[in-house]
Amino acid sequence: MGAVAAPKTATAGPRDAPAPKRRRRGLSFEGRLMAPALTVLALLSIFPFLYIVALSFSRVGLLGGISLEWAAFDNWTRLFSDGAVGASWLRSVVYFVATVGLEMFLGVGIALLLHEIVRGRNVLLSALLMPMFMAPVIVGLLGRFLTDSTYGLYAWVLRETGIYTGEILGGTTAAFVAVTLMDVWQWTPLITLIVLAGLASMPKSVIEASSIDGANYWSRLRHIVLPLISGVLIVALLIRSMDAIRYFDIITNTTNGGPADATKTIPIRLYETGFRFFDLGYAAAIGLSMLAVSIILANVFMNQLKRRGLAK
Amino acid sequence: MRPIRNQPSTLGLASGTAGMLARKGSSQVSGEESQMSGEGGALTRREMLGMLGAGGAALALGGCGGSGGARVDESAPEWRRYAGTTLNFISENTAPTAAIVANLAPFKQLTGIDVRVVQLELAALVQKVALDFAGGEGAYQVIYADPYQILAPYADALADLRQFADDDKLPGLEDPNDFFPTQMDAAGRFVDERVLALPYDAPTMIWMYRTDLFDKHAERMEQDLGFDPRPSADSTWEQFYATSKWFRDESDDVPFGHGNMAKQHDSLMNDFSNLLWAYGGDYFEDGQKVGRIGVTEPGEPLLDSPEALEAADVYRRLVEIGNPGSVGWDWTGLAEGFMAGGMAMAPLWHEFAASIEDSDIKGKVGYAPLPKGPKRRACMYGGCGIGINGTAPKAEQEAAWLFVNWATSPDIQLSNLKSETGGGTPTRASVYRVPEVKRARQPPSDLPNVLTTNAVFEAWLPENIGLRPKIAAWNECDTTMFTQLSKMLAGQQDPERTMREAKRGFVRAIDTAASLARA
Repeated sequence: MGAVAAPKTATAGPRDAPAPKRRRRGLSFEGRLMAPALTVLALLSIFPFLYIVALSFSRVGLLGGISLEWAAFDNWTRLFSDGAVGASWLRSVVYFVATVGLEMFLGVGIALLLHEIVRGRNVLLSALLMPMFMAPVIVGLLGRFLTDSTYGLYAWVLRETGIYTGEILGGTTAAFVAVTLMDVWQWTPLITLIVLAGLASMPKSVIEASSIDGANYWSRLRHIVLPLISGVLIVALLIRSMDAIRYFDIITNTTNGGPADATKTIPIRLYETGFRFFDLGYAAAIGLSMLAVSIILANVFMNQLKRRGLAK
Repeated sequence: MRPIRNQPSTLGLASGTAGMLARKGSSQVSGEESQMSGEGGALTRREMLGMLGAGGAALALGGCGGSGGARVDESAPEWRRYAGTTLNFISENTAPTAAIVANLAPFKQLTGIDVRVVQLELAALVQKVALDFAGGEGAYQVIYADPYQILAPYADALADLRQFADDDKLPGLEDPNDFFPTQMDAAGRFVDERVLALPYDAPTMIWMYRTDLFDKHAERMEQDLGFDPRPSADSTWEQFYATSKWFRDESDDVPFGHGNMAKQHDSLMNDFSNLLWAYGGDYFEDGQKVGRIGVTEPGEPLLDSPEALEAADVYRRLVEIGNPGSVGWDWTGLAEGFMAGGMAMAPLWHEFAASIEDSDIKGKVGYAPLPKGPKRRACMYGGCGIGINGTAPKAEQEAAWLFVNWATSPDIQLSNLKSETGGGTPTRASVYRVPEVKRARQPPSDLPNVLTTNAVFEAWLPENIGLRPKIAAWNECDTTMFTQLSKMLAGQQDPERTMREAKRGFVRAIDTAASLARA
């Protein structure tokens, strides 16, 4: 009865009261619009992610097609008890602090200098940005060439001046410093560019007011400029941090992790485990740990941005 | 309602789409289309997008597919049976392959087969091949099968070449006994009688030295050192050490006596192994068999034996007095350092002779087998074979046999030797008996690699050849070895700890490989 009565009510509805919205079954219009993109995302991202998770709990055979054999927590247990992987993580942390720290320091410094320059700033900026447009693999090859003890220009200069007479990529400390500086050389311009954009967007009135109030350059920098561009700095830090964790190309083209594992950071270890030893289950566990660290780092920076009201 | 959807499905996406594309151009398609239009009008946007998507996927899959299948003409002569086929050959970027690439026209003329050559660094090559085996598609029919990094771990994915050599429909192998026996075993076999690859190149480590400097100082050196420093059958590693030190301390012609390829790289393992064997050490029990034929269960590593420890100590001392660039050099870096006058002598792959005889020190270099140690002389062999991908379709494997057979034939080995583009050294003994090649053994030579013939012939003798273990876990064992050695050279650990850690790493690697093989 009710089922018969309902249409009557509904028929009378338009005249007496607005009809209740019919709940549509299936995807909403927006959902259907997004469905293709979400499907592609699932195919490209979610499915591989789940597959990697499955790999990390398996022993992976390659011959005759990929086969997975349940290994329970073997790979994960090994990950947390493997001293070599721990050492690679430690190296990655040192490397991360050194590269990102230097890049931030130099990038901000250069941006402040460029901000003061009125004439020829664009030319200078263009020249400065060039390393950033090079493929990291080329930077690695260039670095190897320049530091080679037989024909490398940097090696020659260091040797002739007596600053360093050994093989640059053959000494543990020297090699680490060299690959760090290659990364700094390539990516400092990015920080400069981002910071310069932040400096350009500062309200001029605030700077002028501080000058009128008698603030010198350093106090203006410390109390006005840096707080004003702090959001931009955190964004720059976030971008470079994500890159630094997976820094691979330059090391693989110069030292390939040596000498004495001095430059074997976690991405190099991952690559070696996955594509040299073909221990794909263990490599998946290492890769997932890298993902976890990246997510934690990103969250730390995002929280900073939120605290400053710069992100929702 | 929808005639196109009602078509019986064919062979999956690609062939289905191919059929769809074919129908578009036929009169039957027109009929179907008009029928569609009559019933429901033109294709809907969804249908069109679906077709485009399927077509795109099919094209993408087709693009990955590689050769597109072998064409077989049963009535054609044996070399022409597969005319029209395209083969993919994946190789390390070596001199012999550069020569082959420059000389593919005669093969095309002979067989009608196109060969696409992909040249990569060894590590990248190993990855591609392993992933190809895992995919089971056989995208690369001809494979540069490094005995240690490809042949041993993936032996079951390579075709046994005897089936093709014995097949009446296919050309047989020209005098199989013409290959050097040690190379045939080391580059072509794993564990059993199957022949999985034919020797294709044969780089071997020998002693390269500056004849001009040795001649200049020989008398004085002999007085100072108490022995004739010029390389001979009796030269020892201790003499090598003393000679190197003399050049460093007493001569202004070169800054250092020798150099090593001691970067944390495969080169370091190669360099060290010569001393390991010379001093009586080895990686495993019955090392010559493990190296020559290979084993699936190598047993306990012997790296902590007194002989191995002594070898590590000698190697450490040797690198200490050598060119400091050594710790950053792989084989290419060492060869460049040698050519630039950075040292008087170096243990190097003999195929670098071609570059050396084209450099500033052209005509000033002598080639000898490596010195011997208390136990024997050992010269690391680094040759590889070319094999056929066992996961490729049978007809493609047969077409690939034609290429493998041709590329390792005496005629082609000779023409590669003479190639201006590449080079390498023949793996066929008969090539060295060709009068023109025999003449080239003495300088000045048009075939610089042949200048090393006396040295490599000595090195290839079964008692002198150095064969690293042919085991499935070698990639990881190799990495363990050169990493631990690199730590020793960096002063982080002594030889004893180095070899103990290396042994531990070997055990772990072998266990891991065994568990992965079971998966």
